[in-house]
Order: sequence, then C-alpha cells, then structure tokens
Amino acid sequence: MPRLLASALQLRRDPRILKLPPYLSLLCILVGVAWLFLLPLDQYSRRTYISENALLPGQVHTYFGGSDQNVFRAYKHEVKELIGQTNTEINDRLDPLLKGLGLKTARQNFTYHAAGHTYAGENLYAILQAPRGDATEAIVLVAAWENVRHEINRNGVPLALTLLRYFKRWSLWSKDIILLLTPDSIAGPQAWVDAYHDAHDPSRVSSLPVKSGLLQGAIALDYAQESRFDSVHIVYDGVNGQLPNLDLINSVNHIASGQMGIGVALQEMWQHNNGYRDRLRTMLRGMLRQGFGLASGAHSSFIPYHVDAVTLRPFGDGWQDEMAMGRVVEGTFRSLNNLLEHLHQSFFFYLLMQRDRFVSIGTYLPSAMLVAANFTIMAIALWVKSGQPTEGTTTTPATKNTTPATTAERDLFVPLGVVALIHALSIVPLYV
Amino acid sequence: MGQFLSFLWISIFALLAFSSPALGADYHEQLNLRPLPQSALLASFNFRSNTTVSEFEKGNFRFFPRSLGQILQHAGTRELHLRFSLGRWDAESWGARPWNGAREGGTGVELWAWLEAHADDEADRKWLTLTNALSGLFCASLNFIDGTRTTRPFMSFQPEGDHSTLTNMHLLYGVLPHEVVCTENLTPFLKLLPCKGKAGIASLLDGHKLFDASWQTMAIDVRPICSPGQECVLQIEQTIDMVLDIDRSKRPRDNPIPRSPPADQLPCDTSKPYHSHDTCFPADHTANQDWSLSQIFGKPLKGTCPLTDPAVPPVCLQVPDSRSVFVSEGAFERKNPDQVSRCYEIPPSADFEMALPKPDSSADTTTTAVVAPETPLLYAERSFTGHGQERGGVQTILRNPSPDTDVEFVYMETLPWFMRIYLHTLQARVAGDARTPNSTTDDNKLVRQVYYRPAVDRARGTQLEVRMRVPPASTVFVTYDFEKSILRYTEYPPDANRGFDVAAAVITVINPHHGEGGGEGSGDDAGGKLGRVAAYTLRTTSLLCSLPTPDFSMPYNVIIFTSTAIALAFGGVFNILVRRFVAAHEGPEGGLGVVLGRVKGRLVGLVKKGVEG
Repeated sequence: MPRLLASALQLRRDPRILKLPPYLSLLCILVGVAWLFLLPLDQYSRRTYISENALLPGQVHTYFGGSDQNVFRAYKHEVKELIGQTNTEINDRLDPLLKGLGLKTARQNFTYHAAGHTYAGENLYAILQAPRGDATEAIVLVAAWENVRHEINRNGVPLALTLLRYFKRWSLWSKDIILLLTPDSIAGPQAWVDAYHDAHDPSRVSSLPVKSGLLQGAIALDYAQESRFDSVHIVYDGVNGQLPNLDLINSVNHIASGQMGIGVALQEMWQHNNGYRDRLRTMLRGMLRQGFGLASGAHSSFIPYHVDAVTLRPFGDGWQDEMAMGRVVEGTFRSLNNLLEHLHQSFFFYLLMQRDRFVSIGTYLPSAMLVAANFTIMAIALWVKSGQPTEGTTTTPATKNTTPATTAERDLFVPLGVVALIHALSIVPLYV
Repeated sequence: MGQFLSFLWISIFALLAFSSPALGADYHEQLNLRPLPQSALLASFNFRSNTTVSEFEKGNFRFFPRSLGQILQHAGTRELHLRFSLGRWDAESWGARPWNGAREGGTGVELWAWLEAHADDEADRKWLTLTNALSGLFCASLNFIDGTRTTRPFMSFQPEGDHSTLTNMHLLYGVLPHEVVCTENLTPFLKLLPCKGKAGIASLLDGHKLFDASWQTMAIDVRPICSPGQECVLQIEQTIDMVLDIDRSKRPRDNPIPRSPPADQLPCDTSKPYHSHDTCFPADHTANQDWSLSQIFGKPLKGTCPLTDPAVPPVCLQVPDSRSVFVSEGAFERKNPDQVSRCYEIPPSADFEMALPKPDSSADTTTTAVVAPETPLLYAERSFTGHGQERGGVQTILRNPSPDTDVEFVYMETLPWFMRIYLHTLQARVAGDARTPNSTTDDNKLVRQVYYRPAVDRARGTQLEVRMRVPPASTVFVTYDFEKSILRYTEYPPDANRGFDVAAAVITVINPHHGEGGGEGSGDDAGGKLGRVAAYTLRTTSLLCSLPTPDFSMPYNVIIFTSTAIALAFGGVFNILVRRFVAAHEGPEGGLGVVLGRVKGRLVGLVKKGVEG
C-alpha cells in the first residue's frame, strides 16, 4: 500500500501527465458539442406538457367577437388619428377613453440616460379591478405604442382597448387586470415594473400613484401588421437570459394552435418543418439570444421580478383576423385567472426547439458543463506549467532521490492588470 | 262571578305576557337602496331585534336567535361583532361607506367580542369556546382563529353598547383574511332572522346575487342597550350591504355569459366621423341604467315579515325627488323632507315590485339621476413595496380630502408572526414635504402615539396601533419594512406558492368633537375612552405576502440520496472500524494473500521501472 502511494506520487511528477490536459480538454469539447448536436433528436428531447393543472388552457369557450369587432374598428380609427402625435397627446386622448370604460387610470413619467441616449416618456396604465376580488393579485396586458423594431402597434393598442372593454363585462376575474400602454417597448415597461416593485430611482422614474396586488403574469401584444395573419410568434427571452415559466409558453401554444388553429413560431423561425436542422437552428438561436441577454420585447423587463411574461406577435399572411388574436389573449387570461398559486410547477431552465419540444436543464446541462470543464482543466494545467522552471534550466532527468522540483516565480502583475483593465472598460458602454 | 274574575285574570295575564315584552322586544327590518355612480347600486339590508336582558337570561329569547343566544351565554360574551366580507369598496367613485364603515369588515371573516372574565387565561378559554361554537354555527373556519391570529386591540375598538362597568371585560379580536365567504355562510345568517328568508326584505337575498356583488359584507352585532328609566335590552342587529353592478345583475340567470350584443343593439356615439354600420365607438359605459327590483335580485319582494314593526317602512330609496319611480299596486310612497330619499309602505301579503326608468335625457344627468356621493373623511390605500424573498415593505397612502380640517385616527395592523417588522423603519411623511419626518414640533407631529406588541414566533402575531393625524388637503405616506422568516416544512399550507394573506388594516377615525379635555397625546386618554367616538371606520384591502417556499419534493430526494450514500459508505467504514490491523511479519504467511502480494510487488516494480526509464 505505501509503495503504491509512493508510485502514485511519482506519477504526479511525470512530465507525461502535463501533456495530458490539452487532449483531455479537447475531448471535453468534442463530447460536449456532440452532445449538443444530439439534443434535437427525438430520443433526447421531450414533448412539452402542462405541469400546472390549474391552468387548463384551451378548456374554456372564448366569446370575444361579434359586435366587439365594430368597437375594435372604431378604436382603430381613434388610434390612427393619434399616429405622429407626441406621447403626452396620445395619453391625453386615451386616458378619458379608458376612464369611460370604468377603469382606474394613472400615468407615470420616466427619464433614463443610458449609453449616451435619453429615453423619456410617459406610461399610461389602467386597472380593471376584479369584480369580486380584493387587490391581492393582478395580470398585466402590455401594449407598447412602438415595438422593438420601432413600428407603430397599429392593431395591438386598439385590440388591447377592446379586450379591456370586453373583460369588464365578465364577473369571473379573480385577479385585477392591468392594461399598460407604454411609448416604447424597452424603457417604458422597465420603468413601470421597477416602480411597481419600488426598485426605481425616484428622481428619474416617478412612483406609481395607483397599484394593485402581486403580478402573476404578463402578456405583451405586438401587433403592428396591418393585414390578416397566419401564425403567432411567441417571444419569450427575458433580460440577462432569464426565461419565463415553461407553462406559460405551453398555455399560449396550446390555446393558439390547439384551440384556435393558429400556427405558433419561436425564435423567428417563420418556417419550421419539424426536421433536425430546423430544430437545431431554433435551439441555437435561443441559446444565442440567451447569451446576449438583451431585452427582446415589452415582456422582457417583467421576468427579473419573477413575473412570467411573453410577447405575442402575429405574422404571416393568412385568414386569421384581429378577433382571433383577441381570443388567444382571452384564453390565456382565463388560464392565468385560474391560477391559485404563482407559476412554479414547470421548468424555468429549458431550450425550446419547436413549439412542442424542449430539452430541460437535466439533459442539456452535461453538455454545457463539459464545455465549461475544458476551460478549468486548461487553466489548472497552465497554472501548474507556469510554476515550473523553464525547459532550459532543468535538463537533468529527475532521479529517484532528487529534491522536489523547484517552483518558479510567477509574475502576476501583467495578467491581473489586463483582467482588471478589461473589467473596468465595461463601464464605457454605459456612457458612450 | 268567579268565572268572570278568572277570565279577567287570564286576560290580564295574557295582556302582560304579550304586551310587556313587546315594549322591550321589538323587531324591524329595512332595505335601503341607493344608486351609485357608474351603474352600481348599494343595497343595505338591516334587521334589528331587541330582547330584555332579564328575559334573555331566563332563556326566553323571543326574536333573539336561540342558537346564537345560548352560545353567547355559554361563552360569557357581553358584546359581539362578526363580519363576513368580500370585494372592495371603491371610495373614489362611490364616496363614503354605508353606516360610516361601522358595519363592515376586511376581506374574509372578522370577529371581535367583549368577554367577561377575571383573568386573561379565562378570557382566552372563553374566546376559544366562542370561536369554535360560532365556527359550527356559521360554517366558517372561525376555529382557526388561534393564538397567532388573536390580538387585544388597545385603541382601535370601543364597545358600542352600554356596559355598567368595563372592568373584567376583555376585548379580543381575530381575523381570517383568507376565508372565502360564500352561500354556506349566508344560509345560517338568514336562519337567525325571525322570518328566515321566506318573507319580508330577506326574501330578496339570494346567494347567486349576493356573492356576485362587487362588494358585500354581512355583519352581526350583539350589544346591550340601556336607555334611562327602562330595563336594558340586548340588541341583535344583522346587516347585509352589497354593491351590485346593474349591468351584471340584470343578466338573466339562464344566460349569464356576457356575449357581445348584436351590432344593431350596441349603443354608439354617432357623432364620430367614421361611424358606420360596422364601426361603432361605444357610448358612455357609465350611462344610467333603468332597473327594477326583480331584475336586480332575480325575484320580487314577497310582502312584509308579519313580525316587523309596522311603523318602520320596509323599503327606502335614495334618489333625487325629481326622478320618477314606479311601484306595484297597493304600495304608498312617502317622500322624506331631505328631498333625496323616499320610503315605501308595502302591502303585507302581496309581491312588491319597483322600477326605476332611465332618467329623462336632460343635459346634466349625473346630478339629477343619482344622489351625489358624500366625500369620505379619509382615503386609504395599502400596498407592498420591494421584491424578493427576504425583505419587504408596506406602504399606506392616506389622503385627507377636507380642505380645512385635520383627521385624527388610529391605524391598526395585525400581522402574522412570520412578517417581522422593523419598528424603527416606521415613518410617516407628508407627500411633497422634504422635511425629515417627525422633526417638527409636537403640535405638528403626524404620529401621536404608537402601541406595539411584538410577535412571538409561532405563538402570536404582531399588533401595531398608531394614533396619527393627516393635515388638511394632504397625503401622508406611512411606511415600514419587514423581514420574512422561513417557515418549517410542515407549517406551509397546501397552496404554499400562492402566498400568505395579510389582514386588512383597520383605520378608526376619531371624532374631533369628542374628549377634548384629554390633552395632547396623553396615553390614558387614548387608551381609555374613544367610546362611541369612531366617526368613520375604513379598512384597506388585504395583501398577499409571498414567503420563500422550499421545493417540496426535496425531502424525498434528500432521503433517497442520503440513504444511498449511507448504504455505500457504511460497508467501508464498518469494515475499517471492526478490523484489527497487524504488521505483515506478525501475521501468518501463506494463502491467497501471499500470491496477491507477490503479484502486487511485481506490478509496482514494473511501474517504477517505467517511471525511471
């Protein structure tokens, strides 16, 4: 036994051991990447399923339609007249309209300075109080005046107004419904949701005069397309790569494709043939967006506050009209309204590769860990190597009873300085 | 002659038996209807009966419900207040609360009572008896009002009745914010009435309509009333207040789905330039509606209760005198001198129906159609601040609408023990006032007095009572921070991820014209007598506090994991522990060990050679 230990110690000083890490590291990368490419296969991904039974998506009849369409057309005319006006003028016009529906309205000013730009504006929001409820929980419907591509939300805003008018007639809401109208899709929702949770800087973002209860979910409408649509694009990426609960995406998907017969697309995959390549592309796009961590829509700012949110964006050329989109939102709100507990059942870490296939963290994590492990292995190897005397000084072969190999002085000032400088430089984008 | 005498005696007895209790024990009921702005209708049902204390103690209950009376006797209750509430009162549009807020509770169930007991322990025992008995009587989870949910308010509540002495009287207050009030609570409530729900105004009460109301509260108040020169009576008052949405209530029960109306029936604003057959800007939603009693309640009023005092008109309506109202045959209208209300005498055994047509479409309909709501003394709104699982804050916004008078009130919070408040963060500041809070002189101080009883983990909740004032025409923010504690695994309810309800804060506005001699902020004044000076009571909405919740499947995972680890490690560790080690030369040679040793030696030699070469 002691001899075995001694030989193991001897092995540690073997120069061949030091040659091993690059190969080991390469092996990790190869296995990790290969694993990643296996994920889209049927054997390695799973079909999505609704984990929270209370949601019951697509189980209710939706009644939005009929003469609501006449109202929608009128609101659309109203909104069309406002195009080109300033933010305050728009709010001045929409505020009495919302009040006329019997909702409580309020406004909020915000000014952000970031990356050399100033983002200022005024949010308008209206609260439909749950008819029999107590202000303990709320669901949010966001309709930004402009989407992330700076197109005017021509159909989204009037649709949201019509929906609120329709929701007011029902007595079954157990949660308040908040309609949030923001001038843009990034700064406005951010200011509002920050102020809702009192995480704002009062000198730049004003506090909210009226509040409701805990936010249980949010749906953003991005409906700038003028013509009829064919499918709905679900945008789900939050800031810093955070994702909403998978149950929310599944519910929307279930309602849109299962109940309404509307196609569903993810990650800007307008065509998806359910083949290996399309699945892989969807998954990689999702990973890329998560990696960048940028806000992808009005819903993104909600996710850091543990409010599950998605943006729905109709696209394509089909025969579905605005009422169908309204019914999708109605169905989703009915599902969220059923929730007794905050969404917690399903996954928060997942990669979607098709509208009904995903890989969960347990399946994709080994691949990511293997790729990450290669850096650690190489780092340790390089550290050890840097501590050894250079080749030129130690030409004598290690004999049996030699003194332990001397460690060389590591000059750390330059590398640490470079790392610190690079980290410090990250301040620059905030001001330039 | 003898026969005649005995007849006389009998008639005198009969007269005594029937008339004398009738002086002390009477019963009356009244329904007050008040249309509110935004097509809402407030319906206040009030049932009141008296029994003399001596009759009550003898067990001769008459109009007093026996089931409740016996519970009160058994638990030594001198005064009782029980509330079942749902929804929220929209003070911005509906104005002041009915009964000045004295007959309502926060969401869920609220109970407070004065019990006669010599010591706190005895009071607690009686309270336990009372809550358990009432729980059975009203089919509510009142038995869950345990020590953690019971408080003894110091300033907020004062007895409404006349008590000869307040010594040995203990006030206990309990609240269940998560209790859902429903039909099973209405049925026992109606059973307490002399006419049940069969006749009189109670015949309008129906679970479908009552629990579809935007706001409703059921109240039971039992209190002794003494008027000088007469025997004290025990009064039971049952009240139901509800705000009905006229649009929603008029929907027929067999077709409750709010489908969109046919396009030609949609009221449109035809002045819009784009108005056409398929484009319709909807006309004002808050337009006044026509309604009738049977449309709203689903059935007409079934006569009067024969036991009711005929002097009190059973139905009153508060609309301006200019508005026309149609009633069914046999009913008399009597307009009150205040010009905004009228009452109806209705025939005892015929159905009563009342219809309010749309007001004449004259220019200013809002002032002529409904009585302008009274401005409340104070507006209050409470919400959580902060986010995350560790800390949070509560912010209450109190607004005094009066242009020239201060409002002084007691703000009471009863918080569950797992919300540990930091009292030093309690702050009151006037909105827009940059001065540091409480730095000004005593006279301008917002907070006058604080009564705080800290929580004890798992034993009792926090009780915080703040006597403070709001200057005229200003808004005051009251804020404090708290820490969320982590519960034990078994202390979570089945729906742990929903969050935990925090009861409504009770705000009791002190009548400014009372108790002036007490002096500023002297403790004994405030603690002692607010008696019947609550000018107005209001409650905030309840809150939902989310606590950190564990992954409830984790214990299972941990059990599996530790079992596996122990099973694996046990063998090795046990082996080493029980084995006796001896040096190789001391032990016996031979056997398989020798062979293995030789092989091992050979292997080690090979490895060494490899290392050296």
